Amino acid sequence: MIDTQPPAFIFIAGAILLPFLRERRLRRVFQLLIPVIAFIDLLYMPEGTYWIYNFLGYDLILGKVDKLSMCFGYVFVIMAFLGMVYALHVRDTGQHVAAFLYMGSTLGVTFAGDIFTLFVFWEIMAISSVFLIWYQRDMAALAAGFRYIMVHIFGGCSLLAGIIIYVSNTGSTHFGFIEYGGLASQLMLLGFIINAAVPPFHAWLSDAYPEATVTGSVFLTAFTTKSAVYVLLRAFPGVELLVWLGAIMAIYGVVYAVLENDIRRLLAYHIISQVGYMVCGVGLGTEMAMNGTTAHAFSHILYKALLFMGVGAVIQVTGRRKLTELQGRNLYKQMPICLSLYMIGAFSISAVPLFNGFVSKTMVVAAAGELHRPIIHLLLHLASIGTFLHTGLKLPYGTWFGRVPEGEKVEEIEASEPPLNMLVAMGMAAFLCIFTGIYPKILYNILPYPVHYHPYTTSNVVAMMQLLLLTAGAFWLYIDKLGGEATISVDTDWFYRKPGMLFLWFVSHPLQNLRVGLQHLLSRTVANVASLSKNPILLPEIAIRYIHLRIINRFYHIFGLAEDKVEELKELESRYDAIRKITYDKDVYRRPIGLGVLLAIVLLFLYGLVYFFTSR
Amino acid sequence: MVKALKYIFLICAGVSILLGLFFRPEHPHFWWEKIPAFDAIFGFLGCILIVVGSKALGHHWLQKDEDYYSD
Repeated sequence: MIDTQPPAFIFIAGAILLPFLRERRLRRVFQLLIPVIAFIDLLYMPEGTYWIYNFLGYDLILGKVDKLSMCFGYVFVIMAFLGMVYALHVRDTGQHVAAFLYMGSTLGVTFAGDIFTLFVFWEIMAISSVFLIWYQRDMAALAAGFRYIMVHIFGGCSLLAGIIIYVSNTGSTHFGFIEYGGLASQLMLLGFIINAAVPPFHAWLSDAYPEATVTGSVFLTAFTTKSAVYVLLRAFPGVELLVWLGAIMAIYGVVYAVLENDIRRLLAYHIISQVGYMVCGVGLGTEMAMNGTTAHAFSHILYKALLFMGVGAVIQVTGRRKLTELQGRNLYKQMPICLSLYMIGAFSISAVPLFNGFVSKTMVVAAAGELHRPIIHLLLHLASIGTFLHTGLKLPYGTWFGRVPEGEKVEEIEASEPPLNMLVAMGMAAFLCIFTGIYPKILYNILPYPVHYHPYTTSNVVAMMQLLLLTAGAFWLYIDKLGGEATISVDTDWFYRKPGMLFLWFVSHPLQNLRVGLQHLLSRTVANVASLSKNPILLPEIAIRYIHLRIINRFYHIFGLAEDKVEELKELESRYDAIRKITYDKDVYRRPIGLGVLLAIVLLFLYGLVYFFTSR
Repeated sequence: MVKALKYIFLICAGVSILLGLFFRPEHPHFWWEKIPAFDAIFGFLGCILIVVGSKALGHHWLQKDEDYYSD
């Protein structure tokens, strides 16, 4: 028996060791080795609850292993390997470290058996992932990253508030099924659905993912939303609210995808749409729906990564990311392999038979049918149409083929197939998409419940083909209207972006002016008082002398004052002016106090530390 | 090339609709699943609905200039 370790720690150890590997070839081998080790580790992990550590009277459980967490664990580790292959050419070690931390913390969430462990990994996940956005190193990425992290911190706070209320109400820190109802569960649910990008809390996803680095966005698509789906499956199955949120979410993403011009943002809206199926499946809560959700998360991670790899390759070689800049340039001639592999992903997400979307998505839809939910069933069906329309038809047509609008000049763009490692990663993802599509048993065997669903019935296949082919027919009619438009679409991020700008203006203009005025007034007073108080005993004497001279000066104005008295008065006046002119210099007045305070804090801290260790 | 693609598409669509007449869902849950070629009709009309509906929403409300947030 091999001694297994928490898979989260394997990745985090990888993140710590990676910067020490200077030799590039060695580093690459190491990057690929970590997911492989983690996968072997998963294979040897027995079912059960273990890796329990006592901390401050609470049990931290790092290993809650059952079929549900295992299924997510497998796909996360597979995805880690694929993403690492895709990112192998990237020389920024920092990006790889962020990716490893991100993947490790996701696995930590997946196998967390108590809510404290869950929360800690949840936060590491948010903080490490934002670096995959910031490494793009431009202003748009920086701003989008800040918006991303602020939304996630808000979600994390909501989750923490819910956890605290939950623990103080029930006394249990065990992470499992949570009865929905009451503030604690609502706050926790809010934290979860923010990470699952459920509208109206979804805008962080479509805002930030397209700004990330080409390789970073591939990692981002896989982990945050799917780990949120996992915790929802674990804690809130059968919550009716999620059924409707999920179905609306599936349509919502589709509507915005019609309007989108940025190719990665279009795909980001389809993540929202696809996660809608999963959230809906969680809400339906039957064994079949839960199986469908798990299977769809598994499939989704693979095909969505493949799609992001495909468009990422286009962005990598052309430097362009908008349909309006790509259509009509006939890139298919220069990158046919990339296009073919992308299309495998597109067929998978569209649930074309023989691809993995078909064996998982139809299960969720069928679960809605089995529960006789007509509106949900139709909404999910409608979203399927939109999925094929955009990722299967509009995006590849606009990116690799397309027509230039009349009157616009077409310049030649240099393009070629992307680096080999990118193609290899895409090839492996494509293989897995087709393999699980043709042989769904391998996926069904690892689902949490026994599967009694058969996707490949003739009527099922025929119905899906009708749906997709006639969607393509309608696309043909509208082909010219569906080209990119050089616009952006306002989404719910409007509610924090526009008022945010107003707030910034308020802070930087009226509030700042008020501060400057107040500081000026107060600092001058302080400076005057400080100067006068240097010799307080002499102060009354000088004041009396000064007033005395002024009075004499008044009286004897006509006759004139003695020479020496005039001199003295002038000198006193100039001294008075000098005092008035002193301005506040923060360095003179702050430093001695600042140093003292700092020393006091340091000593207090050391004292506290000593007290803490000696009192046990 | 485009013409050939058109024919292939029409043949596939025709065949799938024809097959749909013979292979009905074994356990229909809803009344519309009993309509012949329902999925074809739904796919076609649904696609038009999505395109027209979303474009209308976008043009009248949601779509803004690219520098909307940067001024």
